[in-house]
Amino acid sequence: MDNLPTIFDELLKENKHKIYRICRIYAATPIEPQDLFQEVIFQIWKSLPNFKGNSSVDTWVYRIALNVCLRSKMNLDKSNQKTTRLDAIYFTPVAETADVFEEEKFRYLKECIATLNESDTSIIVLYLDELSYKEIAEITGLSENNIAVKMKRIRNKLFECITPKIN
Amino acid sequence: MLEQELKNIWKNSSKAAQINIETDRLTQDFDTKMTAIQKNIRKRDVREISASVFGILIFSFFAYEIPFPITKFSCFLSVLWFVYVIYRFRKSNQQNTSEKLSASLTKQLAHKKQLLQQQVKLLDSAAYWYAAPSFITNFIFIIGLGNPEDYNWKNLLTENLLPLTITAKIGVLIGLAFFYLFGVWINKRAAKKDVQPILKNIEDIQQQLNKPN
Repeated sequence: MDNLPTIFDELLKENKHKIYRICRIYAATPIEPQDLFQEVIFQIWKSLPNFKGNSSVDTWVYRIALNVCLRSKMNLDKSNQKTTRLDAIYFTPVAETADVFEEEKFRYLKECIATLNESDTSIIVLYLDELSYKEIAEITGLSENNIAVKMKRIRNKLFECITPKIN
Repeated sequence: MLEQELKNIWKNSSKAAQINIETDRLTQDFDTKMTAIQKNIRKRDVREISASVFGILIFSFFAYEIPFPITKFSCFLSVLWFVYVIYRFRKSNQQNTSEKLSASLTKQLAHKKQLLQQQVKLLDSAAYWYAAPSFITNFIFIIGLGNPEDYNWKNLLTENLLPLTITAKIGVLIGLAFFYLFGVWINKRAAKKDVQPILKNIEDIQQQLNKPN
């Protein structure tokens, strides 16, 4: 693929926010969301030449992001612990639009997601990103029915946890 | 209502910071990172293989130099064993570097589990593929050492290195037995402390995923 750099550039523009959202949930001390984000991007760049188009790009990106995040959480990736941050990726706080309440609500959401087990966490982050059961099934490898049944229970658990906090 | 609110909170969570990526510079950095990773893999391979290559050279020299037939035979066995160790390391390293990060979560977990199970098996069976064969060849080597004068053999350097008396032979064999037992213990400990907990973690997630609800 000659136009690989262009594809990579487009892919990052399209997907950087969704990747970062997942990284914010999975990052656990001493690994920061930025470190995890960098690792996901690196793995995407590494895997891109082998992308066969058997699944949609979105599904492919979500799979890599989830697998890398889970790998990091299970301490499978020892190299990630000594990641050097690259200057080519930098995060600047958006002071004027940053909503303090919104951040607090996100903190509650993160706390409630943390009460779920690993399997439920991977499903809920995809669901919150407004993916269909079919897409979630493709990413996780479970059946659509199974996702639907699981989602009913996860949703209840999440609502129970977050409603008193938000109210 | 709450559901949509949660989705909005979620979607807005990535807007807390502006993510800037300089793609050209990033791909250059990734190229450098890849080169560094490959260099480290090569270094590790050389480190692991060089010990075996050194063993092959030493025992080939012994096989050529030492006149005692049983010891000569054990030297050939040792060379074969070192070749097998190189093969085993290379195979294990190739398996460990294969990743399927673009596979579905269930497939990726199954793949990782398989790799870890192989790793546990390799570490747990060190007594059979590492300690026992090398101890047996060392044992034959030492038992086969005879009287140099019977063969009219003179090599001061080698003669001084070899345990030629009964006491020296027993001493060396006991030392070797402890050395290999320690090696087996280290491998078993690594399997139990480093690999088994991760394997258990993966199995837990697989169980959660396989539960009907």
